[in-house]
Amino acid sequence: MRARTGRFVLGVTVVAVPVVIALLGPVVAGEPPSRDGSFAGGGAFGFGTDFVGRDVWYQVLHGGRPVVLTALAATALAYLVALPLGLAAALTRRRLVEEALMRPLDVLLAVPSLLMILLAATVFAPGAVGLALLVAVVNVPDAARLVRAAATEIAARPAVEALRMQGETWWRIAVGHVGRAMLRTLAADAGTRLTGVLYLVATAAFLGVGVAPDAADWAVMVDRNRTGLFVQPWAVAVPALLIVALTTGSNLLFDAALEGRGRVGAPAGREKGRVRGR
Amino acid sequence: MSGLRSFVARRLLLGAAQIVAVVLLVFALTEALPGDAAVALAGDQPDPARVEAIRTAMELDRPAWERLADWAAGLLHGDLGTSLTSGRPVAGYLADGFGPTLLLAALTVVLLVPAGVGLGVLAARYEGRLVDRLISSVTLAVYAVPEFALGVLLVTVFALRLGWLPPTAVGHGADLLAHPGVLVLPVLVLLARPVCSLVRLVRAGMIDALASPYVAHALRCGVPGARVRRLHALPHALAPAVQQLARTVDWLLCGVVVVETLFVVPGLGTVLLGAVGERDVPVVQGLAVVFGVVTVVLNLGADVVAHRLAPRAGVVA
Repeated sequence: MRARTGRFVLGVTVVAVPVVIALLGPVVAGEPPSRDGSFAGGGAFGFGTDFVGRDVWYQVLHGGRPVVLTALAATALAYLVALPLGLAAALTRRRLVEEALMRPLDVLLAVPSLLMILLAATVFAPGAVGLALLVAVVNVPDAARLVRAAATEIAARPAVEALRMQGETWWRIAVGHVGRAMLRTLAADAGTRLTGVLYLVATAAFLGVGVAPDAADWAVMVDRNRTGLFVQPWAVAVPALLIVALTTGSNLLFDAALEGRGRVGAPAGREKGRVRGR
Repeated sequence: MSGLRSFVARRLLLGAAQIVAVVLLVFALTEALPGDAAVALAGDQPDPARVEAIRTAMELDRPAWERLADWAAGLLHGDLGTSLTSGRPVAGYLADGFGPTLLLAALTVVLLVPAGVGLGVLAARYEGRLVDRLISSVTLAVYAVPEFALGVLLVTVFALRLGWLPPTAVGHGADLLAHPGVLVLPVLVLLARPVCSLVRLVRAGMIDALASPYVAHALRCGVPGARVRRLHALPHALAPAVQQLARTVDWLLCGVVVVETLFVVPGLGTVLLGAVGERDVPVVQGLAVVFGVVTVVLNLGADVVAHRLAPRAGVVA
């Protein structure tokens, strides 16, 4: 138990730095400092300037918000689609409906997530909203499977049978009972899924999907300032460290929060929910 | 054995459906282009000659289903289409980038299995002690870190500060094996995430297995501990790990694209990203089909192996 509390505190501490910068950074940043030469030294904290001569610290203060907000929006969107889909598949008594809802998702699971995002990026040139939508779509199949698996288990309980026999409406059973009973499982999954989504959002932004080439975004900063790595490593190291802190911290935090709930193995990612008991 | 055979048959069916879906999805890409596909692909200032060239190259005047049939038939013969920007066959692009990517992926997988299983077993053997706590914390911490952030930090430390390793593969062309130093950082970055997840799965599986009645019984019968761990507990712990290994293909693909960009390795990931940037649809489609089919096939294989190792665990089929 002590080790768990320790890891929880560690997780909170590590994740607090990037989250605070992401949320409050734009508020405290103030006016942009005047431009200097590219990859010059000096500036706030000696972090210097970036590839077009903007102050690195000012860019860092602004660069966290898109990463965090896009990831949160994508996770929420994924559940918005996956919840009704999974619930409907679990609670329908017609096998055909269940198959029709879930089988296409099985097929979609086969496509690697980044490949899907790059394919869409070729055609649509998405913005920040587009990126959130894409990452959400990539996460829907797995989330829907998880919802279905959790709901199927709950729907087989005597309480739900009793509700059915009483002639309660589908809506009351689905939302009032099954939905509420699933909340803990969903909260656990949401934590691990958010970590995976953060990874995907940051990686896509690094590859230039969904962001302007000179955007204030930690992942974009890492990419664009790489050319000056030898002259001005801070312009790359600071945003990279913040991304590492954000992903590592959230993973530690969620893992500590979930421990003792019978979860084993690796958190997050698309591998979960592939194994299901029939 | 009929259970296994029917499982394999159902799994093969799903695999075939997945391949068809990948092909359809990739083809749907051109259909999804807003407005006139040729104009959309020609760039910001569409020049009529270029629009016309794209229209002819992609045969956009013919009905969609005819193009789909042609394209799919071509795929079966290994004809993946022709690039819009260079006019070269897509298969040529594949051949160029294949070597470095295969080398990176193969090296990663070869190192991944012993490292992941070894560390997992080690952690389970000393559960709760310092070794276990160290391995568990590090794998948990590194697990979620995106490759590009990890890679850039490793380059800063090992290439810039310490000067031990070259920062990129620039100047070595496709012949990377001749310069093994170039490969160290890319492979290390590629390994980071899959190793962490594999270690955690093997550790959890081993701890489960070591606490089971059959292990206790084997120990009571006087079977040596090392033999019990190797022959009785390990196979039980490997079933989920084998599946994870196949899921790793998804990550390896993400990783390869990022790592090749980061270290400037001229592989398939670089080709794919270049084609995405130039909106060279046929090249993107060809590569996507190849990547998709490889993923489907490897997942299929792993599911069958996992089913063979632990038939009780219901695997998707």
